[in-house]
Amino acid sequence: MRKINFFKYFLVLLSLIITSLLIIAIGAFFYVPDWNDVLQNLFCEEMKFSLFLSLWTGVISTALVMFFAIPIGYALSRFDFFGKSAVKTIIDLPVAFPELVLGLALLLLFGNTPVGSILKKMGLDFVFTQKGVVAAQFFTALPYSIRIIKSTFDYINPRYEFISRTLGYSQLETFFKISIPLSKNGLVASVVISFARCIGTFGTVLILAGGSMGLTNTLPITLYLNISYGNMGMALTSGIILILVSFFAIFVFEKTEVKL
Amino acid sequence: MNFLSVENFSVDLKEFKLKNISLSLDKGDYCTIIGPTGAGKTILLESIIGFHKLQTGRVFLDNKEITHHLPEKRKIGIVYQDYALMPHFTIYRNIEYGLEKVYNKKTEKELIRKKIAEISASLNITHLLKRTPGTLSGGEQQRASLARALAVEPNMLLMDEPLSALDPSTRRETRILLKKIIKKIGMTVIHITHDFEDVWSFANKVSIFKGGEQIQFGTILDVFERPKNDFVASFLGTLIYDGKINKVTKNYSVIDLNGLLLKSSEMTDKKQEVTIAIRPENIIITDDISPYESRRMNIFEAKLTDIVRDGNVFFGLVEAYENCFKAIIPHWTVDRLQSKIDSNLYAVIHEMNVKIL
Repeated sequence: MRKINFFKYFLVLLSLIITSLLIIAIGAFFYVPDWNDVLQNLFCEEMKFSLFLSLWTGVISTALVMFFAIPIGYALSRFDFFGKSAVKTIIDLPVAFPELVLGLALLLLFGNTPVGSILKKMGLDFVFTQKGVVAAQFFTALPYSIRIIKSTFDYINPRYEFISRTLGYSQLETFFKISIPLSKNGLVASVVISFARCIGTFGTVLILAGGSMGLTNTLPITLYLNISYGNMGMALTSGIILILVSFFAIFVFEKTEVKL
Repeated sequence: MNFLSVENFSVDLKEFKLKNISLSLDKGDYCTIIGPTGAGKTILLESIIGFHKLQTGRVFLDNKEITHHLPEKRKIGIVYQDYALMPHFTIYRNIEYGLEKVYNKKTEKELIRKKIAEISASLNITHLLKRTPGTLSGGEQQRASLARALAVEPNMLLMDEPLSALDPSTRRETRILLKKIIKKIGMTVIHITHDFEDVWSFANKVSIFKGGEQIQFGTILDVFERPKNDFVASFLGTLIYDGKINKVTKNYSVIDLNGLLLKSSEMTDKKQEVTIAIRPENIIITDDISPYESRRMNIFEAKLTDIVRDGNVFFGLVEAYENCFKAIIPHWTVDRLQSKIDSNLYAVIHEMNVKIL
């Protein structure tokens, strides 16, 4: 008689239960609200401001994240240098940090410190400003992006680059003509994940940029502020937009088949 | 001066070290590098190209020192076992990519097209130019990768096991094509291989590697017939024996192997102990010695103990005076000799094939 594989069925059952709970939790966003209310909220001034702020800060932060993550990810993937493991650990640290702690660290750095003062003189005042939203999003998303880009380059056979060099191309030319085009999928995944992280950043933005309505209220801040006022409709609308962004990000990420 | 000179080359890659490698090649030389996996053969090639920083040593190519030149300035081509064709380019673009660095891609577009057509025709890949690497077979990819490397007319070509990923039939065809092309252009080549067929087909020089060190380097006959030590002898299948000098005359030496006296046409200054080397293909096992009777032949009685097969080659194992000899035997004699196992036959070795190390 065939024996029942209890171990297998237990693990499958566990996976199904947890997945169902997640689906029900996410689904709550879609069957609890009054859809007329959601539509009305979507077009109110506060939500429009919040959405627009989230979008433009998210786009700028993502661009900055990519600008730094590509060279850092490439360096970590391709070169051995003194202190490489230290650099990797420090860059990865914010992934494990609670966002609030990262926000506090940035607040201290950009506050009344020599660095903060110099940046302020250069017109880069990050504390309780919209620039602070960008800085908070940038530091939160950067480690994720570096990890994705590093593993993308890890997956590209360095021999393509070696061959390009033997055919007369410099390291820089090879980087742009071979490495970047070959890492296209990973870069797209990194852009999408970074954007989703930027849009969804809450703790870091709250501490560094503050939760000022009409100034720094990105979608997660709007959700938080409306929950505290007891305005469930607005909170749910912000939540739904954030969920749609996340779904889109995961969909693109899966399509690009980047391995982490 | 040699065309390529590698002097006291050492590379330290933390997990692996290449120690004091020296080799020199003349223009048109074809050198195969053989050795066990993990011997450092690929690292040597990549270091000659300039991908790994040298700890010590110098490299000269065509009378110029290139030790500190960037890889893109050395004009050395490389072909890998896994082809490494750019997957986002068509085959045409893969070849064109290198040519765009040699010729002006705007004003010499027609010349580039002509060059691609020529090299593609000679490697029989003209019909594949519009395809991407992923859609080609191993042999086709390897020909395309060779075309890309040769199109830019490099000073020399390095090949890292170019035929080992191919099936036997494709390997044979590609070997013939490769030999024809290399001979035609007279290219200086270093070729890593595990296949002795490649060594015999292509090389005039051989280098043996083990554990990051070059154990022996020389002409093919020198290395195969005079292995430097037990490792090289066993790796190449050369038989080596310790014996004593019995007599040295003006024309030959006589070596005593446990009572078996073997003549060698080589002279030696050694008075007592001596090591000799014999290749299995230079030993004949026969029951009829009449065709071989000559003063220059060593002919002795030997007991056939077994016949073994290694790939496509049969070896007869014979014993004489407590010495074991391994001789390659032709396929058509295998059946006849099978019936003579444990019988006494004759072993014949020309005195020129007994090498004193």
